[in-house]
Amino acid sequence: MSSLFEQFLVESRELVEAAGGGLLRLEKDVGDRDAVNEVFRAFHTLKGATGLFDWPPFTRLVHVAEDLLDAVRVGRTPATPELVDRLLAILDQCSRWIDAIETHEALPADADEQGRRLGAALSGTTGGTGEASAGRPAGFDWLDGTGVQDARPLTAVAYDPDPECFFNGDDPLALVRRIPELVWLRIEPAAPWPADLAGFDPYRCVLRFRALSAAGRADIAPLFRAAPDQVRFAAVPPAGQEPAPTPAASIAAAPPPESALAMAEAILREQRRALGMDADPAELDGRLASVARTAAGVLAALGRADEVQALATAAEAARAVGRPGPLANHLATLLATFGTSGAMPATAPAAEGRAVRRALRVEPERIDRLMALVGELVVAKNRLPFVVRETEDLSGGGTPARHLRDAYDAIDSLTDALQDAVLGLRMLPLAQVFQPLPRLVRDLAQRLGKRADLRVSGEGTEADKDVLAVLGEPLIHLVRNALDHGIETPEARRAAGKPETGTIRVEARQERDSVIVEVADDGAGIDTERVRRKAVANGAVDPARAAALSEEEALALVLLPGVSTAATVTDVSGRGVGMDAVRSAVESAGGRIGIASTPGAGTRVRLTLPLTMVITPIMVVAAGGALFGIPTGAVAEVARVPASEVRRVKHAESFVLRGAVVPLFRLHRLLELSAPAGRSGDGETVLVLRIDREPVGLAVDGVRERAEVVLKPLSGVLAGLRGYSGTAELGDGRLLPVINLRELL
Amino acid sequence: MPIRFDASLAHFEGDCTVEEALPLNEWLLAETSPAVDLRRCTGLHTALLQLLLAARPALASGPEDPFLARWVAPLLEGPRG
Repeated sequence: MSSLFEQFLVESRELVEAAGGGLLRLEKDVGDRDAVNEVFRAFHTLKGATGLFDWPPFTRLVHVAEDLLDAVRVGRTPATPELVDRLLAILDQCSRWIDAIETHEALPADADEQGRRLGAALSGTTGGTGEASAGRPAGFDWLDGTGVQDARPLTAVAYDPDPECFFNGDDPLALVRRIPELVWLRIEPAAPWPADLAGFDPYRCVLRFRALSAAGRADIAPLFRAAPDQVRFAAVPPAGQEPAPTPAASIAAAPPPESALAMAEAILREQRRALGMDADPAELDGRLASVARTAAGVLAALGRADEVQALATAAEAARAVGRPGPLANHLATLLATFGTSGAMPATAPAAEGRAVRRALRVEPERIDRLMALVGELVVAKNRLPFVVRETEDLSGGGTPARHLRDAYDAIDSLTDALQDAVLGLRMLPLAQVFQPLPRLVRDLAQRLGKRADLRVSGEGTEADKDVLAVLGEPLIHLVRNALDHGIETPEARRAAGKPETGTIRVEARQERDSVIVEVADDGAGIDTERVRRKAVANGAVDPARAAALSEEEALALVLLPGVSTAATVTDVSGRGVGMDAVRSAVESAGGRIGIASTPGAGTRVRLTLPLTMVITPIMVVAAGGALFGIPTGAVAEVARVPASEVRRVKHAESFVLRGAVVPLFRLHRLLELSAPAGRSGDGETVLVLRIDREPVGLAVDGVRERAEVVLKPLSGVLAGLRGYSGTAELGDGRLLPVINLRELL
Repeated sequence: MPIRFDASLAHFEGDCTVEEALPLNEWLLAETSPAVDLRRCTGLHTALLQLLLAARPALASGPEDPFLARWVAPLLEGPRG
């Protein structure tokens, strides 16, 4: 059960993703038959997968969507943007359910209600097949009664204002009045008028509006930005050009895809195994019934309900003889039909590719552990050269010493290869972090009344999973920024002589040891004057310095806390927190951020991140009763300084090292930890650090060991802590804070 | 004052907003044979429109505003359907 369950979690998420991608393509081109087929297949498979478990609302909802998509597929129902909207809403619900199922192994309590609501909303877009087959989009049957004969393609608008909309300051009539190129309008009560005016509530909107416009949907939809759920659109072809229903390619139900078959097969195998186990004769009846029920469910989910009767007969026979044999044999026969899956139509190559990629899934923690062990292996290996030299000295370069050196060389190169291989295991394609972007751009553009194309390239570029984890949030910020205050409204773009649809490019590529991600828009660019003013206004720089800054330096000001590129704060972005957050996230991962912007032509933000998390050699030291890591690169030497040689001038301490005075700091004091309890009398352990040429002494309670670690940036509430560059996991699983010396001193 | 109540005739002038809904409602309830003059009305809030559609006062004078004249006035003329 559990492996099947896990397989469901992985697979259903992939299906939801595939369906979502197909829907976005369909929205761009409602005639895209490949997209319809892809979405249909995804829903179909998802239905099969949910059917193997006991989640009726899930299966039901997916089934409704599948039926509708089938109608679209064979041309009985037109694909409309509304349909896409509602199907996307259903996918969102599916994602939430899959999350809930993963956590609680059950659907949330309101699943039934939610499912029915979304299902009803979806059916509402088609209004039943009878209506749809008349060539009218669902809910637009009123189109037949307009009497409008127009040679232009029209957009039909059905606007059902929320009864409470007056309280939001909405005036539906004023809104309708602003529909451009209005050709026809009908204002009607949503329900019959009350007989008596006395019972009429003037503050509840009871009217609804039906309109035809010669303008395109994209020009009308922005008007209804505040009420997207109260309005529906449909395209009306020019008079005399009613579209003939697209001939059906194939009406036969698609066979269940192979993945569902694999699951079904696994279940049936499991059931047969259960039958083979010794059972108390008293329990046999119950077990037979349970197995028969499960197998019947599998058959039904595969669309082989007609075979259920034969199954029941076999179960009956088994009960009659008091042995599981007849039912077990029947299951074996059924299983044999799965073996002939070569006769099944081949699934899409993409699906096969995914199946291969899924071959081995490993929890990230295991790889982290492997990484920590490799780090320790490198450290252990690094002790060998001393042993080799000692042996050479002892044996005078004899055979044993030579053999030892050969062995060391082999271990050395193997360790390097091992380290590379483990780092490679952690590499994942950037497609993962790009995946939410198309949907983000689509939804946000709709909300903002803008038009934007997202062009993504280089999604196959790979980077360490920790780098990806760092990249996700900033990328969403940047794309949101580009759309919210980069790309202008269609009107402004037209006025500026640009195409009405803006372009946002997200490009990834590898450059030597870095992965570079650029987010570029062809929007208005950043007004550096405004950035200067804003930075001065909130005290980030003084006026004189702001005026002296070059354009490039002024642009960099948007990366400071509290300086925003937006003229106004919107609900989407522009509060001056975004770019600062992006910068700190990228820098904490050892990356850089750069901005270029040309007024009127657009903005380009470049993130440069390390390809792998860098392996840092550290020294583990004790201070104030705890252990810390210090990057070995900064440590020039470890000295014992007799207590008598430490001089104190007020609170400042120093000591003399080879004739030079070196300032002395104490780590426990810098970290505001308590002083170590027992101070040994024979002196201090001092790390002599070279940070900016001048040596600095750092007194610690002791030096423990060396290690090579993968530094992980601090996250969550700890991310704001200065003085630490991250944490490292040691080979024994301990987490070690690693000191950022530059910040601390 | 966008709506001027002159005994049984209400003059709608300029942009008539949702604030007028309650006074209009009371006036419509109080008058036995109300009539409205929309000639100089340039904006009619949905709340007012639906009151007029529900109460159907006589249309003494139609609006000059092209949008209202084209799409709204016909609803207020003739018998209530």
